[in-house]
Amino acid sequence: MRSPLTPIPPRASQYGIEPELVKTRVSELPGMTSVLLKELFPDLPEVIYPSTEGLAAVRTATVNALQKVDMSKIKPEHSVNILASHHGFTLLGGEPYAELLRTIKDVVEARTGCKNIRLRAGVGLRFRETEEYIKRYGLDKHFNGKAIGVAPIDQGIAIETEIGTLYGIKKVYDADWIIHAHNSDVREVHFHRQVDRAVKPFGMSYARIETRSTYHQNLGPRAANFTARAIFDSPFVQSKFAFAAFLTMAPNGIVGVDVDSDLYALNNRVTEIGCRYYGKMMTLLGEVDECIAALDFPAPAVYVFSAGVIYANFAGANTDLYDLEMPLPAYTWYTESFYGKRGRPLLDEIPPMNKAIKMAVHNYAWTGYPCAFFTEHIPTVVVGQEQAELFNRDPQNLSYMKHAVVSESTEAAMEFAYKTSGTRKVIVFDGAMGGINVSEPLAELLIRKAPEVSERVEELLLPKWLKQRGINL
Amino acid sequence: MKVVNLLAVVEEDKCRGCKICEMVCPVVAIQMENRIAVIDSERCRGCAACEQRCPDYAIKMVKREQPIYVKVDVSAVDYTQIEELCKKAKFNPEQLICYCTATRAEEVAAAILQGAKSPEELSYLTGVRTGCKVECIQPLLRLLDAAGIEPQRPKNGWQWYGKTVTVWEIPEEVKQKYASRGFYFDEDIKLLDRVVEAPLQGRSDT
Repeated sequence: MRSPLTPIPPRASQYGIEPELVKTRVSELPGMTSVLLKELFPDLPEVIYPSTEGLAAVRTATVNALQKVDMSKIKPEHSVNILASHHGFTLLGGEPYAELLRTIKDVVEARTGCKNIRLRAGVGLRFRETEEYIKRYGLDKHFNGKAIGVAPIDQGIAIETEIGTLYGIKKVYDADWIIHAHNSDVREVHFHRQVDRAVKPFGMSYARIETRSTYHQNLGPRAANFTARAIFDSPFVQSKFAFAAFLTMAPNGIVGVDVDSDLYALNNRVTEIGCRYYGKMMTLLGEVDECIAALDFPAPAVYVFSAGVIYANFAGANTDLYDLEMPLPAYTWYTESFYGKRGRPLLDEIPPMNKAIKMAVHNYAWTGYPCAFFTEHIPTVVVGQEQAELFNRDPQNLSYMKHAVVSESTEAAMEFAYKTSGTRKVIVFDGAMGGINVSEPLAELLIRKAPEVSERVEELLLPKWLKQRGINL
Repeated sequence: MKVVNLLAVVEEDKCRGCKICEMVCPVVAIQMENRIAVIDSERCRGCAACEQRCPDYAIKMVKREQPIYVKVDVSAVDYTQIEELCKKAKFNPEQLICYCTATRAEEVAAAILQGAKSPEELSYLTGVRTGCKVECIQPLLRLLDAAGIEPQRPKNGWQWYGKTVTVWEIPEEVKQKYASRGFYFDEDIKLLDRVVEAPLQGRSDT
């Protein structure tokens, strides 16, 4: 068995405990091993990062990809907003996404002579998160002081769409041109269901609360993504859209950089790679019969990563998140809202949270996203009183600790989990690059099941998923 | 219901009077006095919107010595009226409309039926929209609209701009145009309609 891979280190942030309080990573404990994703699925694409070339590979790929896009409409006297989102900074340590942003700025400036290039970085529910990243990665300096974080409660701007007025963040659109700088990592499949994934930020991190609430409360679980399309297709946004530049992601790393002035063409490519490679990984994780889930990554509990899959999706891996015939995943905000006062779903067909997760050990994860649904439905041990107190001070998580217990150390938490759950299978959500940190019994299960999963996805599931989304291979 | 255990406090020497905190506060608990932000500690619901958006880092959140329990008494209103209002707004009364504070549609409906006339009043009375501050504005506007109330936005505020479309209102031509792209409009309407009509689980606290 292989040694565990190095997890993503803790980050100093107002949303998490101090990094020095994270004394032990779960992957350091006895019995842990790792499996390379290429060993599980040999057909996974080759990656440019992580690689021996490091960040230089991202810069080279970005420069090359940008060569094919027409920038002639950007004039030296114009202003350009490069639009970013917090999510990119959570991928593979964050530097590759920062390098993408830096390179886009450098190339656009060199090609067009335009000097007024700004960075507008949107957020999820942690309104200062991208402010932190801008400082961490030196983006304020690289953008000559023209890099800011924007939040959904900032001043808005009305956008007329074919489904009526929706609202964007004013500072996102306060330039002559916008460049949509994102990534194809699937992340919240429970929300977007891999429908218009490439367009989503227009209805989310670039949008005001009215729009985001439309997505999560007004349209339904499978119609929600239309919010983003409606905004992107609006004459207002189309009049400013220059092009999109994406880090193309697979569960094992960055495959390349994709640039296109036709966002829907790019979206089709993103949809295929998302369904095929992430679909295999999620289907494989759905085969896990029992386990302890260890959360150990600098992001809110729902967003901690393992093999490119977030914990929120593992909590729904008992269902096929890509199958649009299934209306409600085990976890999504629509699902959560449909639990009645007795704690039971209002509709019988609402699936339970993944019963394979016998216990969650919350070794290190951030606040800033409502996660009480998880501790309510999955027995959870939180490591350290400081972390518990942080959650008790988070307006979004005032009930998180009502349903969780506190352990004084990682070792004690895992020992408790082993004893009470009765399983030795452990999956660690720590962002390890290129592989997955697990316990030996779980490694054996994944290696055994992967070939059949790969065949099932290729032959049966992928054609169905793509057809549902109007994509022809 | 929300337990309010935090309070926003202004560090006056850092405040430059930009008014952003005033414009984002979901319960209108902040006013400027002599170009300094002043927080009404009784009104503050501890959401940290001001602290998170202050460009000068002049606001900090401190733990309250005594938490405030914010809740509207659902039993003070005829439950039939609550059901009618929720259904008109296309909600099941037991449906959660605020994930952070676990506020259900029935509590917001009860607040409206007892006289609340704006999202700000609803946030103040129930705690709704004082967690993430993002996702639950539309349910509030839908419930107010169903009650025939046209709320007034706080003057010069950014608290909210307007009610938006629901899936029941998506034009047929839009549904047809995008039918093959993975948008399940009609199927989601059926799903949400069934949620609205689903039997209630507990009238225990009514």
